[in-house]
Amino acid sequence: MATCKDCKGFFAREDDQDRGDCVMRVTDPRQAYYKAVPVEADKDASKCSSFRKR
Amino acid sequence: MGQSTARTEKESSVEELKNRREWWFVAEKTRSKRLDYLRKGVWKKGAIGGNYAPGIKIDLTFPQLFIDKWQEHEGEAIMLQKAHALAHVLDNIPIFITDNSQIMGYIGSAPHNIVWHWQGISMVNEEIYNEEGIIPEPEEESLEILANLNDYWGGRTAVDKLARVLDPEDAVKFMSGAIGWGTPTSAATYSTKDFDYIFKGFEAILAEVEERMEETEEKLQGNPSPEILPLYDKLPRWEAMQIVLEAGIRYAERYARLARTLAEHFESDPERREELLRIAETCERVPAKPPRNLQESLQFDHFVQVLSRYETFEGAWPHRPDYIHGPYYDKDVNQDKRLSKEEALDLVGEHLIRTHEVGIFAPKWAREGLQGITGTWVWTMGGVKPDGSDACNDMTVAYMQAARLVRVSNPTFGFRWHPKVKDEVMRECFECIRHGLGYPSMRNDPVLVANTVHWYGHPVEEARTWVHQACMSPCPTTKYGCQPMRMASATANCAKMIEYALHDGYDPVVNMQMGPKTGDPREFKDFEDLFGAWVKQMEWLRNILVRTVNLGRVKDPEFFGRPFLSAIYERAVETGTDACDPSNGDRGNAWVTGFTWVENADSLAAIKKFVYDEKKYTMDEVLDALNANWVGYEEMRLDFVKNAPKWGNDDDYVDDLMVRCLREVSRHSKENRCPSNNTWPLLPENVSGNIHYANLVGALPNGRRLGDALYDGGISPGPGLDKKGPTAVLKSCGKFDHVTDGRAFLLNQRLSPTQLSGEKGYQLWKAYMKTWADLGLDHVQFNMVDDATLRAAQKDPEKYQEVIVRVAGYSAHFVDISRKTQDNIIQRTVQGLG
Ligand code: SF4
Repeated sequence: MATCKDCKGFFAREDDQDRGDCVMRVTDPRQAYYKAVPVEADKDASKCSSFRKR
Repeated sequence: MGQSTARTEKESSVEELKNRREWWFVAEKTRSKRLDYLRKGVWKKGAIGGNYAPGIKIDLTFPQLFIDKWQEHEGEAIMLQKAHALAHVLDNIPIFITDNSQIMGYIGSAPHNIVWHWQGISMVNEEIYNEEGIIPEPEEESLEILANLNDYWGGRTAVDKLARVLDPEDAVKFMSGAIGWGTPTSAATYSTKDFDYIFKGFEAILAEVEERMEETEEKLQGNPSPEILPLYDKLPRWEAMQIVLEAGIRYAERYARLARTLAEHFESDPERREELLRIAETCERVPAKPPRNLQESLQFDHFVQVLSRYETFEGAWPHRPDYIHGPYYDKDVNQDKRLSKEEALDLVGEHLIRTHEVGIFAPKWAREGLQGITGTWVWTMGGVKPDGSDACNDMTVAYMQAARLVRVSNPTFGFRWHPKVKDEVMRECFECIRHGLGYPSMRNDPVLVANTVHWYGHPVEEARTWVHQACMSPCPTTKYGCQPMRMASATANCAKMIEYALHDGYDPVVNMQMGPKTGDPREFKDFEDLFGAWVKQMEWLRNILVRTVNLGRVKDPEFFGRPFLSAIYERAVETGTDACDPSNGDRGNAWVTGFTWVENADSLAAIKKFVYDEKKYTMDEVLDALNANWVGYEEMRLDFVKNAPKWGNDDDYVDDLMVRCLREVSRHSKENRCPSNNTWPLLPENVSGNIHYANLVGALPNGRRLGDALYDGGISPGPGLDKKGPTAVLKSCGKFDHVTDGRAFLLNQRLSPTQLSGEKGYQLWKAYMKTWADLGLDHVQFNMVDDATLRAAQKDPEKYQEVIVRVAGYSAHFVDISRKTQDNIIQRTVQGLG
């Protein structure tokens, strides 16, 4: 099963490799930005439409 | 060569735009690329004529995260329960870094989202469920989330709880919407902040909390006595403060982590990479530790504002950023030369933009009263230091310059004028006004400092630290001066005072006996009887509002709870209390906002003249005309409009009545007491309540019909009714004492941009300001956009997106306010100076 840590968008925290940030580029009609959401490294990625294999 | 030609072309086109006074295009052409990108990137959060702009969505991530933890901690002390919930939000809410940005922090999970505070009022939660256009996709799923949320919070919100303890009759009248507005809870409020204390850093405050807890725990292990019993309740409050302060530090660290990740893995431009690393360093430093430079001080400030707004709807933004950040600007730009002026201006401009982009859902009635903006965010500039010396600094100038470049309608500025303000700073104020921003409003600092001492007994050194608590009311930013909760409900629809005096306390619009029965006016012997009825109605209206709000204030720690605000309030940290608890030393700084005030003087004057002095009409005829909404009485109505004396024309007949009304209110303001046993002075101003109440105030003897807009200012003459020129307006307004006759008085004036162009224009304005100051007025603000531009903007709103006007205590983009408000602004008399 693919998990977040297998994804290019996952960046593990230095102080805790089991947790990290899912970092994504977003372009909306007015501005572009990078967004971060905390995720567990072992979170199931099979249903994530943004998964990109490392 | 090619480059210099291009520059010349750009310069000449800017000159042409300046000559045409198309300041919005001048701004676009002269601001940096970064500011241009950030300014255009903002999602408009203020409602356009009462409705949210397409694309704006309500944030559902925030409440879901909050409620998860809230329910887990059910049964704990409310402050502690909320602290856990807030910490969970701050640890998990999506964060983002916009391209080119340097200041971090947003309330919500995406730039187009607005948040709301579901713990405040059930009615608002229901309104969101039914509000079209703001529900995120997939709509069905979102509606289910909202329905569950409404089910859970129905009956549990702060106002639901308050309603259960209110006198039922007070509750019905208060909720009728006719006599006032607002909510007596800190769920919809605003708070003064003491940055001298906050800038110690969260780690230092945490150490203080820790120390207090240790002392207390020791006492609890000691001799049993009644003295130690209240200490048990303090411990969970301190724990709550710890939880939110630590969460605030972690929230900043999340930005630091994201900025480092972007610098190391995403960014190819070396300059931006440097910026991202600087952002990371900044967010690792603040709010944990004191700021060391301008970027850190601005960032610290913004984090505090964001964290406060995760806790509650702060509808205003009491602040004095030039005073707070000035020393850091001086160090970076003038002493260490770490930043160029242009780089500093980019940071200052972004500070305005980051504030402007904040969006918090407001119910429809509030959106109509505050068209085009999220809240009245009036930042205070200039003024004096606690020792009375001039406090203006380079940041005062930088904010004025940045404002002209980014042209946001929110925040706006209120400038504390005093006799020692340098000419170069006055010129900056004037340039902002000349560029049509409608701000800064000009405040008379010596008058307002004296007023602050007079009404509440704040020591003069503390009074001199004042900031605009909302649009108008000064509040000191000191340990005992800070006001944690503007009791927003003490906002009176004052036109009801005369309306009820003429209808024996009955409200003909909402069809209900509201005020006391003061007698049928047909039976009144003379004007004194009418005036006596007016006084009784005035007292009743103020009493019901103040009573309700006082109760809301003392119950707030029990019904709502403010862990974060308490953690940044020195007196709350010291005493282990909720910041809103009036027993912790709050000196009191309450006021009653008086919407639709001037109608009283004009209406009383019309009746005095036509019914009692000249006996031209009987009271019977007047009441018949009013009851018919003047329909069938047009000739008589025009007589009342044109020939009755009107406030603002230096006419003692009506001006004396205005003064008499104010003195009655001032007497009563001292009888009304706040929970700190201090006074409740009146502050006449309107926001855009003059439009909101148009359909709630019936016909009046000044010739106004039900549905007509009410007068726009707190002491501004009716639109088009000031016939004698600007000095006559100032003279009328100078007939009462701006220290002892009320808290502050809003005066709108429209000036001609053509007349005020060039150096001559500045000198004319300066002479006008001298008369204003000599007469002892406390406030004036200006619209300086001509009718032709405003009419063109009505026809072609797309082209005039950045045209700003002063509405009342705030500015808004002209295209964002309703047609009725737009017309009301155009109708205001353009005063020629000189
Ligand atoms: S949530 Fe999806 S996009 Fe984000 S890290 Fe996990 S798999 Fe990747």
